[in-house]
Amino acid sequence: MVGVERVLGAFGEHLVLTYASLFLSIAVGIPLAILSLKSKRLASFIMGFANLVQAIPSFAVVAIVVPLLGIGFTPAVFAIFLRALLPIVKNTYVGLSEVDEAMIDAARGIGLTEWEIIRYVRFPHAYPAMFAGIKFAAVLANSIAILTAIIGSGGLGSLVFEGLASFNTDKILAGSIPAILMAVFIDISFSYLEKRVTPEGIGGG
Amino acid sequence: MVIEMLFRRIETVELRDVTKRYGDFTAVDHVNLEIIGGELLILIGPSGSGKTTLLRTINRLIEPDEGEVFINGRNIKEFDVVKLRRSIGYVIQQIGLFPHMTVKDNIGLLLKLEGWSEEEIDKRVKELLHLVALPEDFVTRYPHQLSGGQQQRVGLARALALNPPLLLMDEPFGALDPILRKQLQEEFLRIKEVLGRTIVFVTHDIEEAFKLGDRIAIMRDGRLVQVGYPDELVLNPADEFVAKLVNVDKKFKHLDTLKVKDLMVDVEKYIVEVQRKDELLQWMRDKNIEFAVIVEKGALKGVTDLKSLLKSQDLEEALMEPLVFSPGDSLASALAEMKRRNAFLGVVVEREKPVGILLANEVLLKLL
Amino acid sequence: MDIRWVWESQNLAQRTLEHLRMFGIALALSVVIGVLLGLYLYRRPKLAPIAFNVLNILETVPTLALLVLLLPVLGLGEKPTIAASVIYSILPIARNTYTGLTSVERSYIEVAEAIGLSEREVLLKVRFPLALPLIAAGVRIAVVFTMGVVTLGGLIAAGGLGAPIQTGIHLYDRDIIIVTGLWVGALALILDGVAALIERYLRDRYGRR
Ligand SMILES: Nc1ncnc2c1ncn2[C@@H]1O[C@H](COP(=O)(O)OP(=O)(O)OP(=O)(O)O)[C@@H](O)[C@H]1O
Ligand SMILES: [Mg+2]
Repeated sequence: MVGVERVLGAFGEHLVLTYASLFLSIAVGIPLAILSLKSKRLASFIMGFANLVQAIPSFAVVAIVVPLLGIGFTPAVFAIFLRALLPIVKNTYVGLSEVDEAMIDAARGIGLTEWEIIRYVRFPHAYPAMFAGIKFAAVLANSIAILTAIIGSGGLGSLVFEGLASFNTDKILAGSIPAILMAVFIDISFSYLEKRVTPEGIGGG
Repeated sequence: MVIEMLFRRIETVELRDVTKRYGDFTAVDHVNLEIIGGELLILIGPSGSGKTTLLRTINRLIEPDEGEVFINGRNIKEFDVVKLRRSIGYVIQQIGLFPHMTVKDNIGLLLKLEGWSEEEIDKRVKELLHLVALPEDFVTRYPHQLSGGQQQRVGLARALALNPPLLLMDEPFGALDPILRKQLQEEFLRIKEVLGRTIVFVTHDIEEAFKLGDRIAIMRDGRLVQVGYPDELVLNPADEFVAKLVNVDKKFKHLDTLKVKDLMVDVEKYIVEVQRKDELLQWMRDKNIEFAVIVEKGALKGVTDLKSLLKSQDLEEALMEPLVFSPGDSLASALAEMKRRNAFLGVVVEREKPVGILLANEVLLKLL
Repeated sequence: MDIRWVWESQNLAQRTLEHLRMFGIALALSVVIGVLLGLYLYRRPKLAPIAFNVLNILETVPTLALLVLLLPVLGLGEKPTIAASVIYSILPIARNTYTGLTSVERSYIEVAEAIGLSEREVLLKVRFPLALPLIAAGVRIAVVFTMGVVTLGGLIAAGGLGAPIQTGIHLYDRDIIIVTGLWVGALALILDGVAALIERYLRDRYGRR
C-alpha cells in the first residue's frame, strides 16, 4: 500500500508543477501573440517555430533541458512551459488575427487607438480560440508533469517511476489514477470556462 | 460632458493635389477639391474610380503619396490621428458593428473611452437612437438581432456619438433593398437638417446623389472630372461621361407606353390585417420590415411605417392614406401625381385589394 | 562532444531501427483502425458524438499514465507502447475521415447519383477520394502523437530511442542526452515533413477550392 499522505503530497507537487508552468506559458504566450500582430515576419517566425517544436516528442524536450538547466523543479517547469507555450501563442494569434477586416476598419475609422482595437474588438473575438489553446496546453502540461519526475521534478510521476522500478502496481496506480482524474477535471472545467467567456453575439448567431 | 473636438465647426475641407498609388497603379490622381462647411458633398463615379480611397485620406485611414488635406486651413498631419478620427464620423457600407457588443455598447464605446459616466452614456445613447428612429428598447439587442436597415442606423448613431462636425459616409445605403434604401434616404435628409453638419457621401447611385447632395463631385479613373450643383452638371456637363451619367431624360421616351402594372413591385410581404398598434409593431419587427400596408377583410385601409407608428398613440393615428392607382393607369401620369404630392410610394389597388406598390425611385432605376 | 562515441556506445543505429519499426506498426494499425472507424461512424452517424466524446477523453489521459496502466494487461515492452500509440492516434484519423466523408459538397454527390453510381460507388469513388486530404491531415497529427509515445516506450523497456535518452538522464551524461535528444527531434521533424508533403500532394490532387 501507498500512504495517503504520500499521494496527497505528490498530488500537491503535481498541481504546483502543472499550474506554475501553465501560468508562465499564458503570461508569456498572450503578449507574444499580441506582439506577433505588429509584424508579419515575427508572426510567421513564431508560427513556424511553434509548428516545429510541436512535432518534437515531449521526452526529447524534457531531456534536452537537462544539459541546459540541470535537474529539479525549475528545469521541469521550463520544459513544460516550452511545450505549453506553443498552442497558446498559436491559438491566440489565430484568434486575434482572424477578425472581420471591415469591423477593424470601422473601429479605426471612428477613432479607436490600435491598443483599444486589440482590447475591445480583437480580444473578445479571440476568446474562444484562446481558451481552446489554453485547454490543450493544460492537458499537455498535466501529461508532461508526470514525465518530468525523471528529471527530479517530484510529483505524481515520482510514484509512477518508483512503481516501475520496483514492479509495485499500487504505486503505479497511486501515481497515474489521480493524474487521469486531473486530466478529466481540466477538460471539463476549461470547457465550462470557455463557454462562460465567449461573448454573446459571437459564434452561434 | 464636454467633448474635446479638434474643430467645433467646419469652415472648409481642402484636398490639394491628393495622389495615391498602389504600385504602378494610380488610384487617386492629383485631386483638388474644396468642401464647403455645412454642405453635403457627393462623391460619385464607377466602381474602382477611387472614391473610397479619396474619402479615406480625409480621416487618414490612407496617407496620400502626394498632396495634402487641410481642415479649416490646418494640415491634418498636424493633428493627432486618433483625435482627428474622433472629430470625424465614419460610416461604411459593411457597417462594421461589433457583434459581441449590444447596441448600447456599440454606440457608447467611444463615449466610454472618452471617460463619460454610465448615466451620461445612457442618456446620449437614447438620444441617438431617437435621432435615427430606433426604439429605446433596442439598447440591449445584439447586432445579429437587427435587420440590415436597423444595423445601418446603429452604425450612423455610433458615428454621431461624439457629435463630430464632419461626417464621412461610404455607400452607407448600398447594401439595402430599394424600399429600405428609399426610407433611410428620407430619414437621412431629416437628420441632415437637424444636425446641419458637413458631410462627404460616396455613392454609386445618381438618384441618391441628386436626392441627398448639395454639390456633386464626379470621379473617373482616379481623377476628378467635374464638381458642381446638380443643375450645373445637367446643363453644362464637362464631357460625354458626365452628360451620360446625369442625363436621365432621354431614357424616358418610352414612358408613355408603360402602365403602372408594368413596374409595380410585389406587395405581398407588406400586407397585414391587424387591429392594434402593438400587434402591428410586433409583426413588423418579426418580419423585419419598416413599412406596412394594412387591410380590412382584404380591402386597403391605409399604410404606415415604423417611425410614425412609434410616435403615435394608436394604430388609427399612425395610418396614412396612400396615393392609390389601378394597374391599368398610365405610368407617366402616376409618376407626375406622385411628384406633385411629394410621395415616394403609391399603392396599386384592384377591386379594393392591394396588388402592388409603386416606388418612385424603383421605377426610375428600372427605366435607366 | 563526441557524437561518434555516443552513436556507437548507445547502439543508436539499432535503436533507430527499433524505433521506426514500432512507429511503423503503430501508425499502420492506427490508419487502418482510424479510417475504418471513420467509415463506420459515417454509416452510423448517431454513434458519432458518443464515440468522439469517449476518444476525446482518452486523448487527455497523460501518456505515461496510459502506458503504465497497460502494463498489467500487456506486460512490458513493445506491445503496450504500440497499443498506447494507437489509442491516441485513432481520434485524429477517425475524426478527419468522418468529417471528410460527411462534408463533401452536395453538388458532387448529385452529379454522381445522376450518372447512375450506386451508393457504395459514390462512397468509394467520390466521397472517399475527396476526403483524402483531410484524412492525410489526421494521419499527420497521428505521426506526431505516435513519435511521442514510441519515444516514451523506452521507459517501459520497449527499446527504441527513448532507451538511450533514459540512460543519458540516469547517468547525467550531457553527450548522450544531447546527441540522442537532437536525433529524435530531427527524426520527428523529418517524419512530420514527409507527412506534410503527402498531405499537400493529396490536397493539390483532390482538394477543393
Ligand atoms: N490596398 C490596395 N491595394 C491595391 N489596390 C488598391 C487598394 N485599394 C484600392 N485599390 C485599387 O484602387 C482603385 C480605387 O479603389 P477604391 O476602393 O477607391 O474605388 P471605389 O471608387 O471606392 O470603388 P467602389 O465603388 O467599387 O467601392 C481600385 O482599382 C482598387 O482596385
Ligand atoms: Mg468604395
